Amino acid sequence: MLLNGIITGLIMGGILSLPVLGVAVIYGITGIPNFAIGVIGVFGGFITWYFLSISIGFAIIIGVVACFIVGYVVQRILLTPISEKGGDSTLFFIITVSLGFVFEGVIRAIFPRPNISLELPRLGTITFAGFSVEGFKIIALVFALGTLAVIRIMEERTEAGKSWQATSQNLKLAKLVGINTTQVFSIASGIGCALACVGAIFWGSLYNLELSSGWDLGFIGFIVAVVGGIGNIWGGMISALIMGMVISFSGYLLGGEWQSVILYFIVILVLIIAPKGILGSERSL
Amino acid sequence: MNQPLLKVYKLIVCYGRVSALKCIDFYVNDNEIVGIAGPNGAGKSTLLEAIAGSVPVREGHIEFLGHHIQNWSVIKRRQLGLMLIPQEGNIFPMMSVKRNLEVSVILSDRGSREKLIDYVYQIFPILWDRRKQTANTLSGGQQKMLAVGMGIASNARVMLIDEPSIGLAPKLVTKLFDTLQKIREDTKKTIVLSEQNIKILNIADRLFGLEAGEIRFDEKKENLNRDVVKDLYLGSIS
Repeated sequence: MLLNGIITGLIMGGILSLPVLGVAVIYGITGIPNFAIGVIGVFGGFITWYFLSISIGFAIIIGVVACFIVGYVVQRILLTPISEKGGDSTLFFIITVSLGFVFEGVIRAIFPRPNISLELPRLGTITFAGFSVEGFKIIALVFALGTLAVIRIMEERTEAGKSWQATSQNLKLAKLVGINTTQVFSIASGIGCALACVGAIFWGSLYNLELSSGWDLGFIGFIVAVVGGIGNIWGGMISALIMGMVISFSGYLLGGEWQSVILYFIVILVLIIAPKGILGSERSL
Repeated sequence: MNQPLLKVYKLIVCYGRVSALKCIDFYVNDNEIVGIAGPNGAGKSTLLEAIAGSVPVREGHIEFLGHHIQNWSVIKRRQLGLMLIPQEGNIFPMMSVKRNLEVSVILSDRGSREKLIDYVYQIFPILWDRRKQTANTLSGGQQKMLAVGMGIASNARVMLIDEPSIGLAPKLVTKLFDTLQKIREDTKKTIVLSEQNIKILNIADRLFGLEAGEIRFDEKKENLNRDVVKDLYLGSIS
């Protein structure tokens, strides 16, 4: 049971980590909490579902790219201008939640079904210590870890990565040294929404994607990110894995109906002990 | 008479209803070191930030290299050759010293970047020794050197430095001012600095006295009387 619990926890943690990373990248760089990213991600999930009959790879790329563009544009024409004028968190909460409802409405209006399931290829089975798991289930985790690694390498090696780091650490100075922070913000938002889309696609392959799934994805993403230390991508990743384990083991030990009670109880407990999250909420990549 | 390199006229800057600068005329010639003196709250930082584009201008003009830049973005002014080194928050705290400098040369072409950073290390050898250290673990004086170093690395024609002497030991202030003079000679840069430290008289070619958002005097160094400047800092010039 232990091994079983750990593997289920890793699968859950992997899926959770994608919207969490999305939240962490956006907040880490822009300092803006965007509560619409889950719904935007699900919007991408529906797009992927729509094109699924053509080819799975093509469908996923279309969905993810669409989310990147949505994230980019929303940041550029809406959120960045508001933040330049000194918008605060409450304002961003209202605006981004409203934006989420807009996208929920758009999904309802465009797509014929409010409830879809995404069939992903099974990718074989992996057998480990007598326990087997379908390959596609752990892809989310591999993808999340890969994304972390890519961000880290870009930070070390590329000019773009250095600009992100600088923007996240000191926005005013980043502008003064000549970094195009408006563009950095837009790209961060695009990447965040694209990650949420990948999360939604995996979610839709294990469960169903509904109109309201975006809110679950977005808010859980936020809560887990805050527990890790909001804006801190490493903290977010660790937090997602811990929360995955919590969901898995509480399910095994107490039954599915107690999962959310235990999960959110632990969230509150962690935040009482460490209000800034596990790794601290220094806005950093 | 040559045209000034940077010219500010009838500049008004307000924070809400409070006017921080009331119709300021100010100019800087090429390769000058110009000081802006004045007590706290006189508007020294506001003037520098308005020139760099960090605060919006209500009325008036800022002319630099023949362009009216008062409505330009920070980046565009930076590209044209203005760089502000703020009084606080003037380094990227969680990056190494080396990385801070690398970010500062981002607008220069690849060929000249290494040279610019090498020059900074030559001016401030301590930064070379500490290049792998995280910036916020440097001492206050070293952080100030890094901030000025980033200004040099930026290769901007005009460096605007907001109160570099604040928080520095008297010995370090003298050293920093000597270094600024050397930088001016080496790089043909123009340097504008706001200061409350009287030692500014040792390096500035000209000094603007600023009080309560208005220019009180604009004098060449040789015409300046130390007592006048001291009185200004105490805010008692009428």
